[in-house]
Amino acid sequence: MIVPIIVLTGLIILPLFIPVGWISLVNEMLILALAACGLNLMLGFAGMVSFGPAGFYAVGAYATALILINTPLPFALAFIAGPLIAAATAIIIGWFCVRLTHVYFALLTLAFAQIIHTIVFEWYSFTKGDNGIVDIPIPSILKSITHYYYFSLIIIVFCLILLWLIIKSPFGKALQAMRENAQRAESIGINVRLYQLSTFVLSGFFLGVAGSLFCGFNKNVFPNYAHWGKSTEMLVVCLLGGIYNFFGPIVGSVVYLFLDKVITGYTQYWPLVLGLIIITLLLFLRGGIAGFIAERLSLRQRKGESDKIA
Amino acid sequence: MMFRVENLHKTFGGLMAVNMVSFALERGEISSIIGPNGAGKTTLFNLLTGHLKPNSGAVYFKDHEITHFSPHRITRSGIGRSFQKTNIFPRLTAFENIQVALMAWKKKTRNIIEKADHFFQKETDEILGSLGLGDQKDRMAGLLAHGDQRLLEIGITLGTYPDLLLLDEPTAGMSPEESQKTMELIQQIVRSKNLTLLFIEHDMNIVFGISEKVRVMHFGSIIAEGTPQEIRANDQVQQIYLAEDE
Repeated sequence: MIVPIIVLTGLIILPLFIPVGWISLVNEMLILALAACGLNLMLGFAGMVSFGPAGFYAVGAYATALILINTPLPFALAFIAGPLIAAATAIIIGWFCVRLTHVYFALLTLAFAQIIHTIVFEWYSFTKGDNGIVDIPIPSILKSITHYYYFSLIIIVFCLILLWLIIKSPFGKALQAMRENAQRAESIGINVRLYQLSTFVLSGFFLGVAGSLFCGFNKNVFPNYAHWGKSTEMLVVCLLGGIYNFFGPIVGSVVYLFLDKVITGYTQYWPLVLGLIIITLLLFLRGGIAGFIAERLSLRQRKGESDKIA
Repeated sequence: MMFRVENLHKTFGGLMAVNMVSFALERGEISSIIGPNGAGKTTLFNLLTGHLKPNSGAVYFKDHEITHFSPHRITRSGIGRSFQKTNIFPRLTAFENIQVALMAWKKKTRNIIEKADHFFQKETDEILGSLGLGDQKDRMAGLLAHGDQRLLEIGITLGTYPDLLLLDEPTAGMSPEESQKTMELIQQIVRSKNLTLLFIEHDMNIVFGISEKVRVMHFGSIIAEGTPQEIRANDQVQQIYLAEDE
């Protein structure tokens, strides 16, 4: 428990020490971390491999953007509406997806995300198509990069605490049981489809929060938020950090965006480097970075225990 | 009548897997289904627990028809099942394996905010203790010895507070001594909780020790039903098992 508190304290005082440009990067890391944690509720804890998380992320971002552009509603309402509309979309899409399992489930999530992408890309009169929606008005108090950083930090920490509680709750245990063995979960009385749908909707909600946050952060939204490339990025972030560890996607997001920033400074072949990283991970570090660290720590602990016994 | 099966029938393509099976169980009865490999024993169980849909026939539990219930609804109505292939939650601890069953059964898994750790600690420990797994509770279930995993699986089933226990080859893969011990343990638990037990077994010797009633399945049909003595003396059963040994 001590590590998250130190990290949080660090994040709070961070703007005092680093230049504004880096605060933007940290902000982006936090938003991606939230999106990836939202995805990982499905992926790592319920064992549902989704290839389409970006769809809900984009719905959150576009919903907030469209409300701010087209209606006089205040920012707070537009910001709350984004995740709720993303969750509502997840109810509809999830209803179909949870009827399938494994690779069929994964492909259906991908298909739906691509449908969302196509709608956003083609519907010029409503979404402005590939021009995106630009210059989204946000309250002047949030226009400062530092202020927006604190705003995101509060929302994200709140959401992460919620996710943490969910994972540690009896509901969360049921999800893990489902991940481990869906058939067995069913025969201890868990309605697997219903729980999968609930997970789908919760995950969609948190992805929507991340999307809405990024909408305000960037003040522009583009169709590529819904693109499969964005979904892949979220999946890589989860795998990089470790899907069986709550903090995995957070670690993954920080490492991913840091590498992105550093490596693109040296070479334009960042996707090549990324590919090598993914291969290395899958071959040698199945638990991701956080999984690796946790394993080392627990090994040391267990060794300590056996020392005591001996 | 605790449990009643009427003319249950299941075909896969042209293959008759379960052929017009009927039988009934009294409350508190300990009985078994034996038969050679491929006789349709596990298919029958799958029909009873909703994992397969029968072509025709009906299943009644405590005088309610449950034929077309889904597996989780059948569990809710009080029928607990274990599986032939070890069927546990490998990346959860032994404790969590049983705790999640208790939580699911008591409908606590809808709770999304409270911490799970303190739910049903006493009950979980009690079940682990009754199976002799108390000292293994914090180990990952997937890392337990095979015999302990089989016991843990029965523990998961007990976590759903069944009135009727359906165990599919509970001693599969165990040594003869382990099998003996496990069956005695099961018998003890069934008696102390006043459950009804129906189990599948491949090996006749294990069955005769604890069953009050034995049913023999062959090519999808129940061809004999009776006390262990009666079954032992049955010519047809002798022939099936002799033919298999050859």
